[in-house]
Amino acid sequence: MSERPEDTLPEDALLAAEYAMGLLDGEERRAARSRVSDDPAFAAQVAVWEGRLASMADFDPVPVPAPVRAAVMERIFPRPRKAPFWQRLGLWQTLAGGAAAAALALAVVAFRPADPGAPSRLYPAEIVSVEGDFRVVALVDMQSSEVLLARTAGAAPEGRILQVWAHGPDEPAQSVGLWPAGDNVRLRLPPEIAAVQGVLTLGVSEEPPGGSLTGRPSGRVFGTVDIPGVSPAR
Amino acid sequence: MTLIDTLKDDTSRGGTPPKPEAETALSAPQAMLEDLIARASLGDRGAFEAIYDATSQKLYAVCCRILGQGHAAEDAMQDAYVKIWTHAGRYRVTGHSPMTWLITITRNTAIDRLRAQRSGRDVTEYHDIHPAPGSNPETAILARAEAGRISACLDELGEERRRAITGAYLDGLSYADLAERAGIPLNTMRTWLRRGLMALKECVSR
Repeated sequence: MSERPEDTLPEDALLAAEYAMGLLDGEERRAARSRVSDDPAFAAQVAVWEGRLASMADFDPVPVPAPVRAAVMERIFPRPRKAPFWQRLGLWQTLAGGAAAAALALAVVAFRPADPGAPSRLYPAEIVSVEGDFRVVALVDMQSSEVLLARTAGAAPEGRILQVWAHGPDEPAQSVGLWPAGDNVRLRLPPEIAAVQGVLTLGVSEEPPGGSLTGRPSGRVFGTVDIPGVSPAR
Repeated sequence: MTLIDTLKDDTSRGGTPPKPEAETALSAPQAMLEDLIARASLGDRGAFEAIYDATSQKLYAVCCRILGQGHAAEDAMQDAYVKIWTHAGRYRVTGHSPMTWLITITRNTAIDRLRAQRSGRDVTEYHDIHPAPGSNPETAILARAEAGRISACLDELGEERRRAITGAYLDGLSYADLAERAGIPLNTMRTWLRRGLMALKECVSR
């Protein structure tokens, strides 16, 4: 701290401003960057400065060349859809309609057991709520098409249960399974999740007993995590 | 793009602080965009396309201001939307209004590209998407209330400080760049600009 007498802001507020503006270099920048991750008060100051500064970039809209939209979508949703259209639609509709049994039957039909002897594909991750009141450690095993989850903080509210969701880069979220009780759960990945290549997103929400009736998270989503570089079992 | 015009978080342009009624009037489209971001974070492509359609002209304007209209701006905007998609799950953590979050990602992405162009290196990510676990409703409200006042406050700082702050934020100038332009030592520039930032903070907090 090298506070000067005429300073009316603490050093941190200035560092937060300088970091938000991108004025810091080298070691100072690295230090500020790691503080953003580790120091909630500092991160909040950076966020406040970002909010202040963003209005400097509030310009009148400029028409975007038409091909840009297609290029953006192509980058984000690059793969051709693999499953036949009717199958995908059927799975989605049954999920959306809450007919979980039909979806499960389809999932079982589509499931292919992994080759024994192939290399293991384990991906650890942690889901942390915004408020920090809920934490889950997850281990995705693409080899055995399972995910293991362990609660390390928080729980579903009284009378509610946890539900686990996942999706790949170009997919809507789908239910991986219910987590009605206990600190740990082991869930079978639905075939579409087991086939994800690239970023696999996992999330946990709280839902009524029996799970969401909408096929999407209907209660509070505690948090999600993106797991990059995932490959399906061969 | 009337939709986006109503999405601006600075209800206080002209110096009046946002009133509760104004917040309520704003909350519908803002809530809509927040909902789209939440759905995008769960992989909803349709929601993401709706975000693009509602915000791309605004974000392209940011890229054009920083990089000039053309391919560099288009590429930066593509990069920004990829980040928006990838990081949508962390939107709420920042405590920003939707447009502030989108503009901040876009500005940072464009500035990274601008700096890479200048130094002839590949685009490396200078900026993180902040996890900002400490953000809370109070800081968010504070930031939103202050946002609209910054333009008037920059004017109050005087032309030189205004140019320096704009140069850093929209032209990616470092302390070293600013010091060189002004022909003064780096530390002198830093002290001078820090005073400007302090004054700016005081002004927007008034």
